[in-house]
Amino acid sequence: MATAVRPAAPDAGTRPVPDAVLRSVEHFLYREAHLLDAHRYEEWLELFTDDVHYWMPVRRDMPKPGASEFASEREMAFFDESKDSLRNRVAKFGTGLAWAEEPPSRTRHVITNIMVDQGDSESEVWAHSDFVFYRTRLESRQDILVGARQDLLRRSGDSWTIARRTILLDQTVLSADNLSMFL
Amino acid sequence: MAVVDMGALVDLDRGLIDRRIFADPDIYERELERIFARCWLYLGHESQLAKPGDFLSTYMGEDPVLVVRGTDGRVRAFLNTCRHRGNRVCRVDEGNTKAFTCAYHGWTYDTLGKLVAVPSYKEFWFEELDTSQWGLAPVAQVDSYKGLIFGTIDPAAPPLLDYLGDMAWCLDAVIDRREGGMEVIGGVHKWTVDANWKTAAENFAGDAYHVPRTHISAIRTGFGGASLQPAGYGVGYGGVQINPHVGHGMGARIVDQIEELGTSTAPGAAKYTVDNYPKAEERLGRTRARMSIMHGTVFPNLSFLTAASTIRVWHPKGPLRFEVWSWCIVDKEAPPEVKDALRVHSLRRFSPGGTLEQDDSANWTQVSWSGRGVAARRVPLNYQMGLGHEGPHDDIPGRVGPWESDTNQRAFYRYWAELMR
Repeated sequence: MATAVRPAAPDAGTRPVPDAVLRSVEHFLYREAHLLDAHRYEEWLELFTDDVHYWMPVRRDMPKPGASEFASEREMAFFDESKDSLRNRVAKFGTGLAWAEEPPSRTRHVITNIMVDQGDSESEVWAHSDFVFYRTRLESRQDILVGARQDLLRRSGDSWTIARRTILLDQTVLSADNLSMFL
Repeated sequence: MAVVDMGALVDLDRGLIDRRIFADPDIYERELERIFARCWLYLGHESQLAKPGDFLSTYMGEDPVLVVRGTDGRVRAFLNTCRHRGNRVCRVDEGNTKAFTCAYHGWTYDTLGKLVAVPSYKEFWFEELDTSQWGLAPVAQVDSYKGLIFGTIDPAAPPLLDYLGDMAWCLDAVIDRREGGMEVIGGVHKWTVDANWKTAAENFAGDAYHVPRTHISAIRTGFGGASLQPAGYGVGYGGVQINPHVGHGMGARIVDQIEELGTSTAPGAAKYTVDNYPKAEERLGRTRARMSIMHGTVFPNLSFLTAASTIRVWHPKGPLRFEVWSWCIVDKEAPPEVKDALRVHSLRRFSPGGTLEQDDSANWTQVSWSGRGVAARRVPLNYQMGLGHEGPHDDIPGRVGPWESDTNQRAFYRYWAELMR
């Protein structure tokens, strides 16, 4: 459960990192998308730190100026996950009896507009990315979800782990009938 | 529309339902008139409208509605449509305001619904428009029950308490377990399901039977509390399905051991729930205080499930589409850490991404769409479970049937057919 104050991400693209770091983060995020679209969830879980907070707040139409469009951390979210609860979700899919994914959806995570900014310590960077997520399942069901992600990445050997992920969906009323995917 | 013999579509003495009722556009249009424009519908929770000027947007059937706490402190509801050309006067989901100004020509209404400004009233209207006659169209009746705000389009509808009947007795077990009432946590889950709204409403009204199969993956892999007890869901659960009045339904397990109340909620709220038992018993008596895993539907489209602290509305959007608007509701006086445990449990279990709720939508879609098949429509659906095994109960009002039975579904459709006739 998220109780700690979330570290604030910089305005994306304002603290750029060297090209080699950018390339390495791009590779990492594409690799993650590859694992998700292949439903290799056990391997995907390994990309997260043990203290990860994976969060997708509810969004709403609000007057401007005024309160944030996004629900706060003590309000409702579509995902408000720890490593344990992500593991629980993966275990559920592993039963073969999770009807939302049985038979499995066919998905494509298109990850783009990647910008990487230096974090507060040498071993951390912020990665901004946008996603276009396509899902089709059964005969003809199709869903498209679009949004942005802010990830706090920590160095792990010659790659990265995800310590915080914030997913900002563009829709307020989901057109999808469920969220049996990871974004 | 052509006159449809509702008695032929719904034969509840034999437990048979024609699946046309889920997919037929004419039947849906009739529902908007006969059900959604007559029944009391849930509009929101008083905790969402704490201050004068607080408002929220919602729907009654397919009519967009504004619910507002006026500067006089009273909650009213209005059709969210300008009396001039019909534009929506409010385009946001919630907020606080002094007035609603239409974005088209600028007609402005105050929080009491009065038309208070018409641009160029003097120059172009020659001060001849009687603004007192052109306020926002009010929802005919608005009332609340222990924080739950309802409204009805029908000025002739019976009062809310009469409409609820002994469903109010049932609701007390959900919303009146301790002093201070309940509150809604900020942020609403809203999502779209390509199914008929009744498929969801009847499921929450009394379908305990689907749990062991639909939700088997979540049960096997655990979701906190009761999940890890293999017998916790399914056969021999010792619960009841209650049809207290008209088409309303609630199911509940009545626990023997008070500790069991803690196994059907968020683990982080288990102790709180058990500790609160004496207060609940004082307020509700033994039977209701011991009710657990309460689920139900206030006819037609307000549902709840206490194990996930969720209340939700199934907004109809055509015969084969509805939107779920779902809130997490908690005791106002609960400690912050308990509220947060309930919040997280709720969203991880019952929300579009919830590990239990995920698996409902695909089933519901295919159930409703089966009504599109000409041949399938000739094959009735079976609502016979427990037929003839329901009746009065010593401690519970209304008709009571077994936990696994179609008691409440039959009651739901019996009332539906009565209104549709």
